Amino acid sequence: MAESAPGRSRTLRCAIAVLAAVALYALLVPALAGTDPRLTDFAAADLPPSPAHWFGTDFSGRDLFERTAAGLRVSLLIATICAVAATVLGLAVGVTAGALGGRVDGLVMRVVDGVNALPHLLVGIVIVALYPGSVVAVIASIALTHWTQVARIARAEVRTARTAAYVEAARLAGASGPRVTLAHLVPAAAGQALVAVVLLLPHAIWHESTLSFLGLGLPPDRASLGTLLQDARAAVLTGSWWTLAFPALALVVTTLAVAGAGAALRDRITPPLPQRAVR
Amino acid sequence: MTITTAAPAGTPPVPGRGRRGRGIARMCLRRALFAVPLLVVVSLALFALAARSPFDPLAGYLGDRYTTVSTADRQRLADELGTGQSWWRQWASWAGHAMTGDLGYSRAYAQPVTTVMAERGPWTLLLSGVALACAVLAAATLGLWAARRAGGLVDRAVTVSATLVQSVPPFVLSLASVSVLAVGFRLFPVAGLTDPGADPSLRQVSRHLVLPAAVLALSLLPWLVLSLRQSLRAAAESDAVLGARARGIPESVVLRKHILPVALGPFTTVVGLRLPELLVGAAVVEEVFSWPGLAGSLVTAARELDFALLAALTVATTLLVLAGSLLADVAHALIDPRVGRDG
Amino acid sequence: MRRLCAVLLTVSLAAGAAACTAEPGARPEGIVLADGDELGGYNPVAGHGEAGDSKIYDGLLRLAGGEGLPAFEPALAARLPEVSVDGLRWTVPLREGVTFTDGTALDAADVVATYRAVLDPASASPLATAYEMIAAVEATGPHEVRFTLRHPYAALPAKLLLGIAPSERLTGGLASESALNTEPVGTGPYRLASLRPDQAVLVANEHYWDGAPQVPRLTLVHVPDDNARAQRLLAGEVDGANLPPRLAAGFADRDGFEVSANASADWRGVSLPAGHPVTGDPAIRAALNRAVDRRAMVEHVLAGHGRPASTPLPAVYGPGYDIGAGFEHDPAAAERLLDAAGWRRGPSGVREKAGVAAEFTVMYFPEDTLRRDLAQAFATDADRIGVRVHVRAVDRAGVPGRLPVDAALLGGGDLPFDPDPQVYKTLHSRYADPAVGSAYDNASGYVDPAVDEALDAARRTLDPAERAALYRRVQEIYLEHPGYVMLVFLDHTYVGADTGYTGALPVLEPHSHGVNWGPWWNLREWTRE
Repeated sequence: MAESAPGRSRTLRCAIAVLAAVALYALLVPALAGTDPRLTDFAAADLPPSPAHWFGTDFSGRDLFERTAAGLRVSLLIATICAVAATVLGLAVGVTAGALGGRVDGLVMRVVDGVNALPHLLVGIVIVALYPGSVVAVIASIALTHWTQVARIARAEVRTARTAAYVEAARLAGASGPRVTLAHLVPAAAGQALVAVVLLLPHAIWHESTLSFLGLGLPPDRASLGTLLQDARAAVLTGSWWTLAFPALALVVTTLAVAGAGAALRDRITPPLPQRAVR
Repeated sequence: MTITTAAPAGTPPVPGRGRRGRGIARMCLRRALFAVPLLVVVSLALFALAARSPFDPLAGYLGDRYTTVSTADRQRLADELGTGQSWWRQWASWAGHAMTGDLGYSRAYAQPVTTVMAERGPWTLLLSGVALACAVLAAATLGLWAARRAGGLVDRAVTVSATLVQSVPPFVLSLASVSVLAVGFRLFPVAGLTDPGADPSLRQVSRHLVLPAAVLALSLLPWLVLSLRQSLRAAAESDAVLGARARGIPESVVLRKHILPVALGPFTTVVGLRLPELLVGAAVVEEVFSWPGLAGSLVTAARELDFALLAALTVATTLLVLAGSLLADVAHALIDPRVGRDG
Repeated sequence: MRRLCAVLLTVSLAAGAAACTAEPGARPEGIVLADGDELGGYNPVAGHGEAGDSKIYDGLLRLAGGEGLPAFEPALAARLPEVSVDGLRWTVPLREGVTFTDGTALDAADVVATYRAVLDPASASPLATAYEMIAAVEATGPHEVRFTLRHPYAALPAKLLLGIAPSERLTGGLASESALNTEPVGTGPYRLASLRPDQAVLVANEHYWDGAPQVPRLTLVHVPDDNARAQRLLAGEVDGANLPPRLAAGFADRDGFEVSANASADWRGVSLPAGHPVTGDPAIRAALNRAVDRRAMVEHVLAGHGRPASTPLPAVYGPGYDIGAGFEHDPAAAERLLDAAGWRRGPSGVREKAGVAAEFTVMYFPEDTLRRDLAQAFATDADRIGVRVHVRAVDRAGVPGRLPVDAALLGGGDLPFDPDPQVYKTLHSRYADPAVGSAYDNASGYVDPAVDEALDAARRTLDPAERAALYRRVQEIYLEHPGYVMLVFLDHTYVGADTGYTGALPVLEPHSHGVNWGPWWNLREWTRE
């Protein structure tokens, strides 16, 4: 189903390289340049890309190279927090369901199905509508709708691990239930959980930028890429294409790199189907 | 999904038509029963959340006048509109009215909520239906084309472009298509249901439907193509197909009679699971293209804090999504004779 | 399989091609406008046409177009109102022979019913606060109405612009749920022919008392998004739209489009709470007013469509109210003022005095990008003279609680047709208490007894010359002793295409600026070219 092993590692290396470049850009540029995002400079407003301003300037005279970097940093930060939160929640629920089994498992899976049935962005819209401008609400709206995938995977892993010989041995040796869970079952699911964090990142970025674009996301003080794109919508008509093109490019490149890295990582961690090594 | 090794001479025993029908009916009933408590929980959660939030329903009601209406008058308005009651009492009153068909009044549209839904619902259905049909068609075509020669040029091209399109959020796609195709090359109308002043005739609506439906279909396509390709691959590697090929059956027949029906099963399940994404995409597309649909009005209700409409739409989308996934599972059960009941 | 796919593909392509190349239907005679506001809600009691801008309803009085402060002329009134000596009773004679579009005749009962519905708590009308000075409305004859006020109020004509609805349709209950919202019945130049979620069609009222309009049909298309409106205008699908200044500026050089701007008294400014040690300091207030470059804000943030504001009264009110130039942009003078008052620059560049740093926060509503941009420009200018201003988005529910402590980018100018509603609640000390009126009224907590006296006197007297002198005095005192940093007055920008009709007149606009205003506010007077 995936490419051959050398192809896979090539994709992974490529994606990681792009991601590293993007992360460097997002973290270093705002720190080094250090311009105050409040301040405007009308004398330099709406300039096209030039050696002085690589990405041009926006209508308030702010350098777009720095603004895109700052926006990317905000987007990545929020997305990472959301992905981690969703994974922790999903891991907790999935491990519990898988370890306890029986009716609890059935009930939890029903809840997971129920939550999964709800459209993510629409639920997110409802949550942020009630808490306008709150960063916590944005994070909650993404985390609370994306944890189900992680829960499902974690539960599957735990159920497989439960039947493994080493877990049986631990139980026979007298280890208590919670100890077995923590020491053996959670690590079994941890590999997939890590992959889940990476795979959730593009979703989180996508979700947050769409919310910001609709005007329902982050407060404008902490501009993310979605906010920058919303500001730049007028660019289609005013001709300042650089205000739209560069943030959009940053968004697409980042999402692609993260998705590619996640997919390659997942293929690496998931052994091919017939053989499942029991360690 | 495991595939039992089939004796070449015949297929494994299949539940008869009658038993299958009854199995499907039981599945529908079970889903319907599951839906009711889910809706109750969802609506309760919404009201509870609204009660704890800083959301002030008067802000939506008063709009720009929010800053000029005096504090005393604001209190009077709150009393008159009943926004000061406890959240569970508000929920109970809302639920009671909803049972009788009165979903309240939408302040954003100055119409009863049921009217808003009746007027805007069909347009969303039209847009989503057309987009879904186009996406499924295109996915089937592309997926089959790519599966013919696994690992070939077409296969890789399809995979790469699908992954690329998947990374682009629908709003970027919409903006790009509007600026390039509608404003730049003037190939399509920019937005709206009809030309202004015109009645919604078939010709008008179909002209205006092209771009939004295309963008929406494009945003759905990557997932569908990739998952169809996956299930076609899995089906192609199964023992039954290897056996059929070994017997010398021509490739096209193998594709049509052995691979496709098996792959369609999980494909319809994926379609059902992706229905939420369809609504999400529809909300963004309707927003950018000013399509007067229900998904876009959720965004409006959220921005203007029109709580009556927001509550009704939340419940309605939950219902719709449940119905959609049920439909997909029923279709799956009908297509694949081995699946007769809830897994 | 391949054949099936090919057939399907061909069919869909053919259908698509047919749909694309179909000719759009011939457009009916009239004008099509794209509006950002929601359609429907055509109930005067719910706030429709409060400033006399409704095409479906008429008010007792209406505005006469032209530059400067508009005059009032009688519409449904036969003559301008007569005022009693004590200023508390206003008598309005009604025009006879006027009918509503449903055939019923206009009489005093309709006027009384409309105003009573606004004041009735059961209708939850958003206009209640604006009409609080009216104690009672009575019909003193079949064609005469009398208003009894709680206190003398010279600006009452501005309140008589409200549209009149028939008493038979005002059956009580919540204003937002009345049938008038979707089936309006008025005496105006147009009547509603059809209403869809995305489109409303108004047709000329043949029996209009002032002569049927020459533009037979007005179609309003609802397009909430600014960019989508601009795009539809560019594509030729609509004949006009209201657009934000930067988008409208994009049409300035295109053939076949005309960008027009109407002045408004819609001000934006920064409130400076009196209780805060920094913003309450008179030297800081005076310095900030001289440090901001208002012209640059107008040129860049408003794309040139605006005017600098020093006081809440705009220059468009005319020479009678004008006190000349307000604050000059003079950062050097600002720095001298601060130095003289003891605010010295610290090591980081931020001034301080007696251990207090010159730092404060300006709030703005999150969805309002204009206020955000003005706040950031204000912060930049303040930074140059050593005052650090933080800019923060706070939603509407959270702002009132913080107004006594944090500055806010506020606006006003809802009803600019008389100086009283324009400045009274902003500058009178009575409204400094957040419990009186709205929390946003006099958010700075501005107290000046001389200003109070002048404002009250201007309310009582009816002599225009005397009122103008009093408002000049208010502005002179304010310039000595400012309480806000007024930044700009907005111009509302509109773009229109050639339609074959002409007759637009400029008019001073209130805060709301949908396509009811703009060049189309007097559509009833337009003629064919």
